Amino acid sequence: MGGDHPSQECKAPSTPGSKKLRSLPLGLYLSGGIVALVFLLGLIAPLIPYDPAAAVDYQRQLAGPSWSHLLGCDGQGRDIALRIVKGTEAFFWPGILAMTIAVIGGAACGACAGYMRGWVGQAVRGLMQLLDTLPRLVFIVLLCTILDPGMYLIATTAGVLFIPTIAAICRRKVETLASEDYILAHIAHGFHPAWILGYHILWLQCRPLLIRQACTVFSYVLFVETALSYLGDYGVQEPWPSWGNMVAQTREGVGFWPWFVPAVMIVVSIAALLAFGNAIARREEAMR
Amino acid sequence: MRPLLRVRDLTVVFDTAEGQRKVVDGVSFAVGMGETLGILGESGSGKTISSSAVLGLIDDTPGVCGGEIVFTQGDHEISLLEGLDTCVTQRPDGLYVKDNRRWMQHVRRVMTPIWGCGMTAVFQNPRQCLDPLERIGAQVEESVGLAAPHLTAAERMQAALDWLQKVQMRDPLRVYRSYPHELSGGMCQRAMIAIALARHPALLIADEPTTGLDTTVRAEIVALFHSLIQESQASMIYISHDIREVLYLASRVIVMRSGRVLEEATSEDLLLGRGTRHPYTATLLHAADLPTGQVSETV
Repeated sequence: MGGDHPSQECKAPSTPGSKKLRSLPLGLYLSGGIVALVFLLGLIAPLIPYDPAAAVDYQRQLAGPSWSHLLGCDGQGRDIALRIVKGTEAFFWPGILAMTIAVIGGAACGACAGYMRGWVGQAVRGLMQLLDTLPRLVFIVLLCTILDPGMYLIATTAGVLFIPTIAAICRRKVETLASEDYILAHIAHGFHPAWILGYHILWLQCRPLLIRQACTVFSYVLFVETALSYLGDYGVQEPWPSWGNMVAQTREGVGFWPWFVPAVMIVVSIAALLAFGNAIARREEAMR
Repeated sequence: MRPLLRVRDLTVVFDTAEGQRKVVDGVSFAVGMGETLGILGESGSGKTISSSAVLGLIDDTPGVCGGEIVFTQGDHEISLLEGLDTCVTQRPDGLYVKDNRRWMQHVRRVMTPIWGCGMTAVFQNPRQCLDPLERIGAQVEESVGLAAPHLTAAERMQAALDWLQKVQMRDPLRVYRSYPHELSGGMCQRAMIAIALARHPALLIADEPTTGLDTTVRAEIVALFHSLIQESQASMIYISHDIREVLYLASRVIVMRSGRVLEEATSEDLLLGRGTRHPYTATLLHAADLPTGQVSETV
């Protein structure tokens, strides 16, 4: 460092600006658009009146797409577009619930396990290991057979079962950052450990990871809901629509649109959720 | 007058590959109200460890094993190492065994009301000591917010900008919006000083705050310490291996080497070459082209 570098205050090569704009995130916008659409449908679906009995009209059985029925009609003449929109109700709020449980529970447990050295930390670590051994789908189906099956039970269980994954990520962060100089400096400056842990470590450092995991959890709930509804016993029951039980109509073996549209929706939504989580996380990481 | 901080017979022991080593061995010193004490010593002399021990930031084993640290907060004298003897035992072969978890809990309980407003620190690597993901302004605001919780957001921002102005940032608003990696080491150190002093501490421990900075920046930072400490009337422990910095800032100096205090003298005596000097101190003075005075024969 000699006189050749007059302005040390200038940006070092590893500044955020250089990384930020390198790739205009097309993937982020595309996946974000799809996720926004799914969330919008989930929000407006409860506002749309739907009477499953009145929707049946054998006159227009298996009709193809037209202006009055944009995505055609199914085997009982019900409008597919409307059923797709109503079908989001089955997983939207449960997905939000699972996401909240997993992220808040995971962050809290991870912080506890990483910060507390005593028996509390030990107990949390043990509990996380125990939860981690449960196979998710099998456990959800098992609970559904024992208890009264329903989307909120499934979502709560899925949320809880994702806690160890998120906790492990947060715990690693807490443990590696605990010996960082700035954490020590914050302690010496009199900041409360809970503030350092909650704000400086979990919020500032773990946020991208948490966003990614939240999207994974939501897509998992969507996946489980459609799978169980497809299989039939524990998911959404006919005549109420769900993307899963709409695909299940394939088993009747007729028509193209009735199974194609929901199948595409399922695949695209899950892919978009995962891609969106990744893209957001990567963008946040690149801004550092 | 009661001293602000009194350290007596402080002993810090670390586990090393060759067994336990006393890195601080019976160090004693005191800091008066509003006084600046300089600690002078080479790398490995135990000056940084002593100050970390005072701050309660040593979590290695066995760490602090003996001594007494008394800090005066308001009208109370708080003994920071009280109960240490119940956590440490010395085995017949001389090895220290410490229940570190219990000790750390104790330290946290005792130090929580002291950290920040009682004593605080500025360390030698300012960039690593700032949160890399938070703007400087927000970090100063956090500190301001702790000192004055009733402020509104706008008032907090104004106070943070005032502090950045006080530590002589050329463009406070730009610094306010910058992340630590966008600033030079000297500017980061200024920000650290702002964060530390915004709590109005009674004692500021500056642990080699100018290490790794350019010569001109060092001079600016030292001058900044001088003016801010005089203004706030806080006490300071200024730790450095640079005798000139220490003599400029401190009224009294202790010289440390291999974990021991070799000598304690006023800056005036050292500068004017009065009294008898320890040979090591004389070497340091000589290296800085200062009069060494009379050098004692016995070490």
